[in-house]
Amino acid sequence: MRRPRGLTGLLPALALILAAPVAAPFAQGITVRAQAQPTRVNDGDEVHLAVEISGESLDQVAPPDTSQIEDFQIIGGPSTSTRFQWVNGRTSSSRTYSYVLRPRHVGTLTIPSLGVLVRGQTFRTRAIEIEVAQGGGLRSPVAPPPAGSLQGGGQVPAPPGGPRPGSRRPGSPAASAEVRVRSEIDAPAVYVGQQLTLRVFLDTQTQILNLGLQDPPTFPGFWAEEIKVPENLEVKRVQIGNDAFNEYTLMKRALFPTSTGLLTIPPITYQIQVRRLSQDPIESFFFTPTETVVRRTEPVSITVLLLPSAAKPAGFSGAVGSFNLSVTADRSSSQVNDAIGVKVRIGGEGNLNSVSASPLPELSDFKQYAPKVASSSTIQNDRLRSEKVWDYVLIPLAPGAQTVPPIAFSFFDPRTKAYRVITSPPIPIQVARGPDRSGIATPAMSQSDVRQVRQDVHYIKLAPHGLVDRSRPFHRSSLFAFLVMMPVLVDVGLLVYARAQRDPTHAGRRLRRERRARSRARRRLKEARRRLSPATSRAFYAAVAQALTEYVADKFDTAAAGLTHQRIEELLAGGGAADALRADFHRALEACDYARFAPTSSIEEEMRRTLQSAERILVALERSLYG
Amino acid sequence: MIRRLGICVLVAACGLRFGAEQGLHASTPDELFAKANGAYVENRFEEAAGTYETILKYGLKDPRVLYNLGNAYFKMGRLGPAILNYERGLRIDPADAEARDNLELARGRIRDRVPEAEIPFPIAVVQGMLRIAPPDRVAVLFLLTYFIAAVLGGALVLARSEFRRRALGYALLASAVLVVLSASGLTITVRMNLEPFGIVMQDRVDVRSGPAEDNTVLFTVHEGTRLQLRGRREGWYQVSLPNALSGWIPASSVEPV
Repeated sequence: MRRPRGLTGLLPALALILAAPVAAPFAQGITVRAQAQPTRVNDGDEVHLAVEISGESLDQVAPPDTSQIEDFQIIGGPSTSTRFQWVNGRTSSSRTYSYVLRPRHVGTLTIPSLGVLVRGQTFRTRAIEIEVAQGGGLRSPVAPPPAGSLQGGGQVPAPPGGPRPGSRRPGSPAASAEVRVRSEIDAPAVYVGQQLTLRVFLDTQTQILNLGLQDPPTFPGFWAEEIKVPENLEVKRVQIGNDAFNEYTLMKRALFPTSTGLLTIPPITYQIQVRRLSQDPIESFFFTPTETVVRRTEPVSITVLLLPSAAKPAGFSGAVGSFNLSVTADRSSSQVNDAIGVKVRIGGEGNLNSVSASPLPELSDFKQYAPKVASSSTIQNDRLRSEKVWDYVLIPLAPGAQTVPPIAFSFFDPRTKAYRVITSPPIPIQVARGPDRSGIATPAMSQSDVRQVRQDVHYIKLAPHGLVDRSRPFHRSSLFAFLVMMPVLVDVGLLVYARAQRDPTHAGRRLRRERRARSRARRRLKEARRRLSPATSRAFYAAVAQALTEYVADKFDTAAAGLTHQRIEELLAGGGAADALRADFHRALEACDYARFAPTSSIEEEMRRTLQSAERILVALERSLYG
Repeated sequence: MIRRLGICVLVAACGLRFGAEQGLHASTPDELFAKANGAYVENRFEEAAGTYETILKYGLKDPRVLYNLGNAYFKMGRLGPAILNYERGLRIDPADAEARDNLELARGRIRDRVPEAEIPFPIAVVQGMLRIAPPDRVAVLFLLTYFIAAVLGGALVLARSEFRRRALGYALLASAVLVVLSASGLTITVRMNLEPFGIVMQDRVDVRSGPAEDNTVLFTVHEGTRLQLRGRREGWYQVSLPNALSGWIPASSVEPV
């Protein structure tokens, strides 16, 4: 199976020859070119780029690949337009993709070669250089004329760098549509909490095919309530300058400022697909040339005023608007423990969201349950009307003529620029005794704590017995000084008197000796304690005996030297000492004598007992003698 | 009594002048007091306050006048003077619970909230007891313990028995401890009563770092705030708050209690 060498070399060449007539029409019939206007711009200006694909048939054409454009931001497009021509029996068509570009920086920027896929084959445009200067530095001689009437109207100035309203697409025989959006507010200055209505209008001279918000609108510093607009936008013919426009209301919002000062509503941006005005009657008739434009409103500043502080009523609810109040009870008579429904309804023009406090105060003769609160709001003539209803259930606690007291509601009326307090009339309710005729609420059902509902100062004081000057406190009075000094003087007098009584006679000496008896005996016993040792037993017992003997001698003012046991016994008996005490005394003395004059081997424990015994005897004698 | 008679004579003399100017016919403090109370009852608080102030101008300091004056200012919405007069009344009669309640109510409505300094529990209890104890009662308590000690001392001088002397000695010692305690209580009470405090009388006052307008503003106090007065120099008070903030304030903006 060897193939002839010459045939093998001819096959590729034959394939090329056969394929050429098929590919050639595509490669030769399609032309792609890009055009940018202007080529010299100021920073922030727009550059309009048109990519035109022309050929005999354009049924499989994809939009240009713009991902390579790095020096520019695409802020509009692509909008497409298609054109057909019939010349000498041959048809040709062209399709143009239009973009609005904004330079990202200053310098010589490049729109790179863009690839366009037509029937699976990629065609490329040539690169275009754009010279971008600082603002005001360049003025392009071929720049499109400014949108005269719209710019001159001053309603929709183009935001910096944004698409200019009514700007025309360069390089296109057709003019782009005159479209703009604008916002209006119904008052330049409002009070905090007062309604401000924002309306956004679309003015156009061309047909609007579709539109949508680029971003959800935000209203910082406002509480916003949507006012519905019809799904099929209503059109109104308006004259602006020399031009007639169709005006559509795109959006309405009821705004309630929540803070004071100068607040700003940011621009609201729409993407609008419009029908492009074409000068080509065939294109206009058979096709719908469209263009997507971006339009935004101008920021709106509003001055929000603080509510006046003068004459602000106590317990001001915070509501701003115009409201009315109604209080109704579902019955005018009831029984103890039989529930009564009381409905408090506040409604009117304005926002009641800030009103949260229960309008009905605590009632002492009714048990009151937490009310059921319902709020609703509607829009009438673009004004928010709110209603808030408190449904109370009151249980009468005591029989008799009871009253639901007047309920006051305060609000600020921006029309009169004054606070208003509206008050409901009192509602009398006749409460009968319950079925048990006791007239007392059953504890399980209706007993409640007594609660203070308001605070106030205690009432003024009276002076039924006259006013008293208390500017000088008692501790600074002369009476106080006298009372402090008096006891000192009295005690000093007593001391002098006592000393005067202490005369140098025998009685005085006896008295002093008697007073010192106890302390002398104590000293003797202390001395004995120091000798509490078998080695010094004789001296120990002598000290104990001396303490006892001298005590009796001092107490009875006699000489200790001549005191015998017999005499001591007599003196103690005369002084009123008990028999047992006298016997103890006697035994203690004898023990001491025995130990002193017939010394044996004294042990320390025995000596300690003797000492303690002597101390006890002296304490007992101190209490019993002349007791 | 002599002092009170003097006040009556003074009020009678001044009353003629004030009566001619203000249409007052009352001439004694009691009559002025009744007249001021009548104005208060009829919600003529400004007139009531003026009449109470007149009584005080004569030098008669009855805590009830100060209390009612505080009430009148409270009703007028002037919390600074209200707090000032409640404080002054409580200095004379610290046991007046109603004045203390009203003072707390008024303090709760002023703009500034100044945290109190932390005081250890036992000291706070003693301070609390002494704060509500009228100085006159503490003085009487002191005199009572003092008399007991003096009687025991006299008895000790005269006692002959050793046992009695010893018993009297112990009792005297115990009563001396009580005398020292009551004397300390009296001293603390008097010192607390003499503590220099002032009440801010203007809506808002800047407290500066020094006694001149060009000094730095350290903080701002508002009407009714209680300040400790630590010194005075050329029309300025050096003040401090319990939370250790301190500075200088114009003397015209604060009224000493």
